[in-house]
Amino acid sequence: MESNGQPRLAPSPRALLTACLTAAGIALVVLFAAILPAEFGYDPLRIGQLLGITGLSTGEEQPLENRLQPHRTDFVEFYLEPFQSVEYKYSMDVDAPLVFSWEADDELYFDMHAEPAGLGEDYAESFAQGTAAARTGSYHAPFTGIHGWFWENRSGRDIEVRLYTAGFYYNSTVFSGSVEYDRELDPVSSTFPEIVP
Amino acid sequence: MRRRQLSPATGWLVVLGGLLFAVPALAHTIASDDANFVLGVDGPAILPFIYLGAKHMVTGYDHLLFLAGVIFFLYRPRHVVQYVTLFAVGHSITLLAGVLANWQVNAYLIDAVIGLSIVYKAFENLGGFRLLPFQPDTRIAVFVFGLFHGLGLATKLQEYELSDNGLVTNILSFNVGVEIGQVLALSAIFLFLSAWRTSSSYLQHAFTTNTALMTGGFLLAGYQLAAFFLVPVYL
Repeated sequence: MESNGQPRLAPSPRALLTACLTAAGIALVVLFAAILPAEFGYDPLRIGQLLGITGLSTGEEQPLENRLQPHRTDFVEFYLEPFQSVEYKYSMDVDAPLVFSWEADDELYFDMHAEPAGLGEDYAESFAQGTAAARTGSYHAPFTGIHGWFWENRSGRDIEVRLYTAGFYYNSTVFSGSVEYDRELDPVSSTFPEIVP
Repeated sequence: MRRRQLSPATGWLVVLGGLLFAVPALAHTIASDDANFVLGVDGPAILPFIYLGAKHMVTGYDHLLFLAGVIFFLYRPRHVVQYVTLFAVGHSITLLAGVLANWQVNAYLIDAVIGLSIVYKAFENLGGFRLLPFQPDTRIAVFVFGLFHGLGLATKLQEYELSDNGLVTNILSFNVGVEIGQVLALSAIFLFLSAWRTSSSYLQHAFTTNTALMTGGFLLAGYQLAAFFLVPVYL
């Protein structure tokens, strides 16, 4: 309706078709090469994977995170005399999750923290600290490194701390006084098939 | 009309004006801070909802692109007002009805239609309907698409728990805000187009510009359709 009396465009049918197809074509390319992989993690043409943007903006947590190696579980007990402390850390890659529950006979000081690989104590990040007799929750490694707890018995009696974990860590290290030793932890299954991504 | 070169001053004004709108236009849904605000409101809150409505329109790039397409070839203010009023009446009806009657429509599908409304207007601007057996009355089309735009606005507002206390007042205020935002955004778009129209490049590039507009419409529609199929709904 040209109620405004202004001339509109009058392209040939071919020019019009070209314009429409170009518009649709560009939109499809941009959608499948960039927007769908980045926003929805939907990448049927594997282009997003090629560009390294798949899942970039899908939001912080996807419901499912598949991995290639089975998880590990761990149980460890520490017996702390008055004013004795211990540190227990797991080696984990960035984004690896772990669930934990620790309990103690009595309240003691704790600090859950992590050190980035290769950077040392100065770059350690602490996530929770305080005094408690138990804590339970889940943890998502923000960087590759060692992640775990520092417990210190600040009472006058012996305290036993028990830690139960499950997660995608590799092994753990105990730091007790000046002694440091690794614990080898096995995956839950030794018969797990190899997965090709 | 005498064509003259775009003066440098106008050029800068146009660029700056464009930038001003580009940045906030990145946000489309009501931002999370505003969501928290709406959650906490109990009772009438006229000015805050006017502000929210205006903000939503000014940052709603799908609404703005459609409006830009509508006024692309409208030169006389009288015609601009006529078409924009049709659009405003349309979106007001469905915004109010949708929220008050609590219509449950899929937001992604509505937003996809909004994207297609941009495709329609760009197609019409390209003169597409001259080559087709039928030509929809543009005024009716703008009104009908306005209804869909209003539904889109309604779904966004429905995402947040609005207290029943003062609901009518707040939605009316939101609608007033949307109109205010529309006037502001439209003025900026109209100024931008007017500045550009002083140059002969406006009509020379009108074909390309509207093809780009159509691309934008397809992108938006495609994105919303993808969301419809890909975003899981947790019940």
